[in-house]
Amino acid sequence: MIASFSDIFSVGRLGTDGIVVILVKSVVIVLALATAAAYLTLAERKIAARVQLRIGPNRVGPMGLLQPAADAVKLLFKENAAPGGRDKLLYLAGPAIAGGAAIFAFAAIPVSGLTCVGGQTSGSGCAGGYALHWDLIHVNVSLLFVLAVTSVGVYSLFLGGYAANSKYSLLGGLRSSAQLISYEMAVAFALIGAVILAGSLDLEKIVLMQHDVWFVVLQPMAFLLYFTAALAETNRLPFDLPEAETELVAGYHTEYSSMRFGFYFLGEYINMVTVCSIATLVFLGGWLPLLPFIHSDWLGGLVGVGWFLAKVGALLFVMMWLRWTLPRFRYDRLMSFGWKVLLPLGLVNIVITGAIVGLRAS
Amino acid sequence: MTGIIWVAGGLAALSALGVVFSPQPLYSALSLVLSIGALAVIFLVLNAQFLFVVQLIVYAGAVMVLFVFIIALLSPDREERFRVDARFAIGVTFAVGVTVAMLLAARNGITFNGNGFRAQQIGQASDPYHGFAFDQSDNGLVNTAGNVQSVGGQLFTTFLLPFEITSMLLLVSAIGAVYLTRRRRDPNAPVRRERALAREPQLEEDRIEVEVR
Repeated sequence: MIASFSDIFSVGRLGTDGIVVILVKSVVIVLALATAAAYLTLAERKIAARVQLRIGPNRVGPMGLLQPAADAVKLLFKENAAPGGRDKLLYLAGPAIAGGAAIFAFAAIPVSGLTCVGGQTSGSGCAGGYALHWDLIHVNVSLLFVLAVTSVGVYSLFLGGYAANSKYSLLGGLRSSAQLISYEMAVAFALIGAVILAGSLDLEKIVLMQHDVWFVVLQPMAFLLYFTAALAETNRLPFDLPEAETELVAGYHTEYSSMRFGFYFLGEYINMVTVCSIATLVFLGGWLPLLPFIHSDWLGGLVGVGWFLAKVGALLFVMMWLRWTLPRFRYDRLMSFGWKVLLPLGLVNIVITGAIVGLRAS
Repeated sequence: MTGIIWVAGGLAALSALGVVFSPQPLYSALSLVLSIGALAVIFLVLNAQFLFVVQLIVYAGAVMVLFVFIIALLSPDREERFRVDARFAIGVTFAVGVTVAMLLAARNGITFNGNGFRAQQIGQASDPYHGFAFDQSDNGLVNTAGNVQSVGGQLFTTFLLPFEITSMLLLVSAIGAVYLTRRRRDPNAPVRRERALAREPQLEEDRIEVEVR
């Protein structure tokens, strides 16, 4: 028989959290990601404006801060225009997968270290208090979990492009599938170097292994490879071929409007946050501060969240900055860059890292 | 925990039926993706977290994307509705028979290993390959060593030869695919630049049209 709700959903650490904690964490994740995505659009427009010596949106609210709210209202109340010969089920499935996979992937990302509420930290546990984990689902392969769930997001781009029954959409969908599968390899290979150093696929453990020195110092090439491949994974310039507006109108979401388009938009910006979070956790020491700081008490946990957000924000800024600096790749160049440059460099990095770690261990 | 296994198992079975019975090939492929995802969830609930992740990355995230890709590109027509004839009856009988036999075998604790089929007491089934006792009352046991470590260790020690042979096979098939799709060039055919020159417009109207474009 089913004993309780938490029993039904006991996956890894989820079992020890009560239903209230699970629900609160879920709601916080969804709301935080949606808000982050909304304000990233504003940040992008502001940064674009500054790069082009303009001012940017400044009419709605003070300094344009209510612009995302106005955009959301606009998207919600817009007419749902949809092409005639579409595949009705798949046309709806596309945006649903885009938003769902992006949010679900974030469930395994720890935004701060274990915090003991009203108790003493003892080793990796918590004596006499409530052990607050700053992630929703804890699996011991959380790095791969995030990669796996985001890799399912490929279907949203392809199905959206296919179901809309439009040639621009289809071309965008095809490009995106090929590009994402190719660069997924580069992402994985770049991360393996850091994983060898940490000796774990658990994001929490990877961060704790960087207590003395961040992996970006030990693995500078892996970090660059990962960040480059991550730009392609999130369809950002200079790799935004799936929605190259000068050639394909808007790529795979040409035929989407109103909130269906909104979900693609949401998924895209949340994916940006996710890849920057992974880069932060694996290479930039996650929630660990620049200066030594006790991070296991209540306040320390919150400070950890602050550090984490600061690093993610910095990476996001670099992404937007690059968008307005670099021109777009040509499609064949994009493919050969992924397969003939990023992938071999990733392999070389793995071999060198493995050799050094093996020699030092023996 | 059992609840989620039932839901995911039911979903896996339903989507497997969808693979067989959907009239459009694209929907068949997508049903297979759903089935793979449901199986992955069962792995996750059974604490085989690494298998969950590998199932999603390899099958749902890579292999099936290519399947869907190709099917959508070739966009084959709808299949005919299946007919209930002698062949259908034989197939259904065979499938149901095998399923029932497997269910019974699993129920009675019969396992298959290198020595053939063997009946074992439930809960005492020992792994014939690596010899550690598999305590079914605690499926977190494999996890204490670490899913990744267990799988990786076996892959690079016990199963090294089959593993390498499999990768060799994949390499051979990849090379074969490249060879088969290789474009054979006619040595006498004009190169692209020459072809463009050969299409030099002869009439004045043609020339104007080309320039306007």
